[in-house]
Amino acid sequence: MKNIKVHAIVLALIIIAEMIGNVSFKIGVGTIVLLPMLYALIMGIFMAPKFLKVVNQKDMLDASSLIGITLMLLMARYGTLVGPTLPKILAASPALILQEFGNLGTVFIGVPVAIYLGLKRETIGAAHSIAREPNVALIGERYGLDSAEGRGVMGVYIAGTVFGTIFFGVMASFAAAYLPFHPYALAMAAGVGSASMMTAAVGSLSVMYPQMADQIAAFGAASNMLSGLDGLYMCIWMALPLTEWLYKKIYRFKYGVEPTGKDAAK
Amino acid sequence: MKIKDTLIVLFIVGAMSLVANAIGTKYTIVEAIPGLLFLIFLAIAGVVLAKYLPGRIPAVAYIVTLGCILTYPTMPGSDVINEAVKKVGFLQLCTPILAYAGIAIGKDLDAFAKSGWRIVVVACVVFTGTYIGSAIIAQTILKALGQI
Repeated sequence: MKNIKVHAIVLALIIIAEMIGNVSFKIGVGTIVLLPMLYALIMGIFMAPKFLKVVNQKDMLDASSLIGITLMLLMARYGTLVGPTLPKILAASPALILQEFGNLGTVFIGVPVAIYLGLKRETIGAAHSIAREPNVALIGERYGLDSAEGRGVMGVYIAGTVFGTIFFGVMASFAAAYLPFHPYALAMAAGVGSASMMTAAVGSLSVMYPQMADQIAAFGAASNMLSGLDGLYMCIWMALPLTEWLYKKIYRFKYGVEPTGKDAAK
Repeated sequence: MKIKDTLIVLFIVGAMSLVANAIGTKYTIVEAIPGLLFLIFLAIAGVVLAKYLPGRIPAVAYIVTLGCILTYPTMPGSDVINEAVKKVGFLQLCTPILAYAGIAIGKDLDAFAKSGWRIVVVACVVFTGTYIGSAIIAQTILKALGQI
């Protein structure tokens, strides 16, 4: 926290990012929205020793240790967004709870794609969930992070950290523009168990539908909290067994034999 | 981290959010200060509760819950709080967080390059799968309940 350099860089990035403001551009019938937080993220990445060499290893570690605290103010704001709309959220709770099962969508699309790309046991770690911290912990405990399964989950975890925010921001505005979903449904879907991904998706939606902005943010935050609560249990009892089962089916379909040796479940 | 240190970081990030807020929204720094102070209060209250209450419940859970309770419509004083926090845009609160996150990501870039393009493809598919899967269910239920 005493690293003044990091704070000064961040302040500069914020000012530049907010001066640019929201940029929306029309593609076909829809609009894609880019938000200041995305520019701040990308400019931050370019400060790295690999690119502009503005920060060093210690600065990156210092910045990393502060993220947990910086998130607290946002979480406080989310609490104050959910509170006033709580009656409405409770009325929508069946939808909020049931959409959690949509997180199993990762398995049905992820496993076949992973196997057809030639991944073996990495598939289990990579495709069973969106690989946030609790999922990494779970795979680490069950298979070890140096195993093939562990490499899979770490790969998706790092991919999520590096471009998950950008991906969700753009995907939400794309889905709102081109797919027949109501903004509330897209807001609920945004709660995948990662505050930054949810915020990026909710942010895009709220710029596209300013008159629903508060409700969208509240649904997103409520759904994200729910994912935080049930995500791990759902993973243990549903997503992971389903992934193992589907892995065997698709493996036999592609290679013509049952997975054996190091390709089989331990 | 000590509670005092956490408080200092909260004030630093809070000050940055005020700058972002002044540029990105129609509210000035002065107008946003009461709302932001309330958010800092919520955050530090959550940290203290997590530290001294049993059960090892993370601070963020207390922070969100406290925020929820204090702004619930029938709560005395909730309209004053709502009026104040409304002037702090949540998108502007995210800008500093992602600036720190961007700087921090630098150290994961090598591991990322090593993990290979296949995993990146799977990651995109997995993100899309969970998002669209959840959206389909939410859309169906909200329609069935007549809420959209």
